[in-house]
Amino acid sequence: MASSTLSPLSRADGSAQYSFNGYSVLCAVNGPMEAQRRDELPEEAVVDVAIIPATGIAGVTSKHLESIVQKALRQIVLVAAHARSLIQITLQIIATPESDHQPARLHQSFSSIAVLPALLQASILALLSTSIPLCMFTNLTSVAVGANGDVALDPSVEEVDAATSLHVIGFSSQGDLLIAESEGSFNIATWEQVSDIAGTVCWGDLTRDNGLQVSKFWKHELNCESTLRTKISQWYSKSTG
Amino acid sequence: MPREAELSVNERAFVLEALKEDVRLDGRSLDAFRDVRIAFGDEYGTADVSMGKTRALARISASITAPNPDRKFDGIFTITTELSPMAAPHFEIGRQTDAEAHLSLLLDRSIRRSSALSTESLCLVAGSKVWLLVCTIHILDHDGDLLSAACIAAIAALSHFRIPDTSIHGGELTVYSAQERNPIPLALLHWPFCVSFAVFEGGEKMIVDAALREEQCSEGEVVVTANKSGEICAISKQGGVPTDALVLLGCVDTAVEKVRVLDEIVRKALDLDATQRDVGGLMAELRAENAR
Repeated sequence: MASSTLSPLSRADGSAQYSFNGYSVLCAVNGPMEAQRRDELPEEAVVDVAIIPATGIAGVTSKHLESIVQKALRQIVLVAAHARSLIQITLQIIATPESDHQPARLHQSFSSIAVLPALLQASILALLSTSIPLCMFTNLTSVAVGANGDVALDPSVEEVDAATSLHVIGFSSQGDLLIAESEGSFNIATWEQVSDIAGTVCWGDLTRDNGLQVSKFWKHELNCESTLRTKISQWYSKSTG
Repeated sequence: MPREAELSVNERAFVLEALKEDVRLDGRSLDAFRDVRIAFGDEYGTADVSMGKTRALARISASITAPNPDRKFDGIFTITTELSPMAAPHFEIGRQTDAEAHLSLLLDRSIRRSSALSTESLCLVAGSKVWLLVCTIHILDHDGDLLSAACIAAIAALSHFRIPDTSIHGGELTVYSAQERNPIPLALLHWPFCVSFAVFEGGEKMIVDAALREEQCSEGEVVVTANKSGEICAISKQGGVPTDALVLLGCVDTAVEKVRVLDEIVRKALDLDATQRDVGGLMAELRAENAR
């Protein structure tokens, strides 16, 4: 089950920790602050994303993830509201799921995009904690497709290893497709099936019946909402009492 | 943000005036540490240490590599530190600040060069295969005295880490997963801890574990690394006002006393974690290490 903490850090303007499916990500947001002259954009805010892996130094994988997260967050943050400024997002991966059957840490094969849902949910919570205006919310899920076409939602490390393709699909709160990242080999039909399932998981569209038992409707959103509600009521009781 | 905002004149005067009367901002005595809290992760080898608002996360990872040609029997152990904008907005990714260089240098000197970890124990096949052990320390929140927090995190993570068990049959190396054989703890020879002193009043007054605001108006820093047997592993005094030899001796005495307390805190946290993991009391049977 997902769990999240709002504002665990003191120095950053806003922060959040989000854990789901074995992944745990800590996000710090600083901004809006002065952008360096060479980075500054005349009509919108620069969204700068940095991902720090749990071990070792940032390599090609985290740069790739950074570009995906940056593109998605640029659509979510109201960048036009903070022209010529910088919103700096730092994501620290705290924990990644471990395989029981492989010697710890010798195991490198599993995919990089499986961490995306945790990265984006953590950044959105942290942006909210910084009070940066957003134009929408997003919900993501990861789906692994096995060799014989079986579909696993929020797959474990073993399921990812056994899968022929892995997909991370995210929808905005308006129900539009926001992120579609896939790895492995698959065809159009598989992708459409996966995107249907992901749509159902992300926004609980019950009219579509694809014979899949989805017990985690609204999982990310419910959790984020309850975290926000608890925090706000804490602040409120502090300021009034 | 290229550099940190400096303290205002008023704030500086307030901190210094209070220190003249031996009063610290958070009400601690001059030689008191903030409360040290240690949380271990679900997997072995992660330790999250908070001291007041300062927070450091250490994580150990192991992989197999070839040794240095001139040190065939030694495994490789490195410590890397990272200061990201998460800790404080003026740190930049990919650009090393003086603070970061200073931190990694002192950690390396305190832990690696004091041979806290026996690198011989990381050797698998002499000359061809050794463990490469990397301790990555992420600073999550910066409120002064990063060094002590980072050092406690590193030691806690190292003593929490379990390395996969291996065997060699006919020149073939097998690495066992946690399910096949219980992983074994590292051979730590001693636990060094850093105690940092911020220098005030021209080298006359020393305070332990300075918070950020105290650090910003201090006149220098002295770091003493010691272990609980009272052995001094490193003393560092880089720049700042000159310090009298007798004052320095006083620092060493205080440091040894503080290190014993820190050692006890880490040991207690480890014991607590071990009892939480030891469901059904099976851990003793699963141990694969030799009883020495």
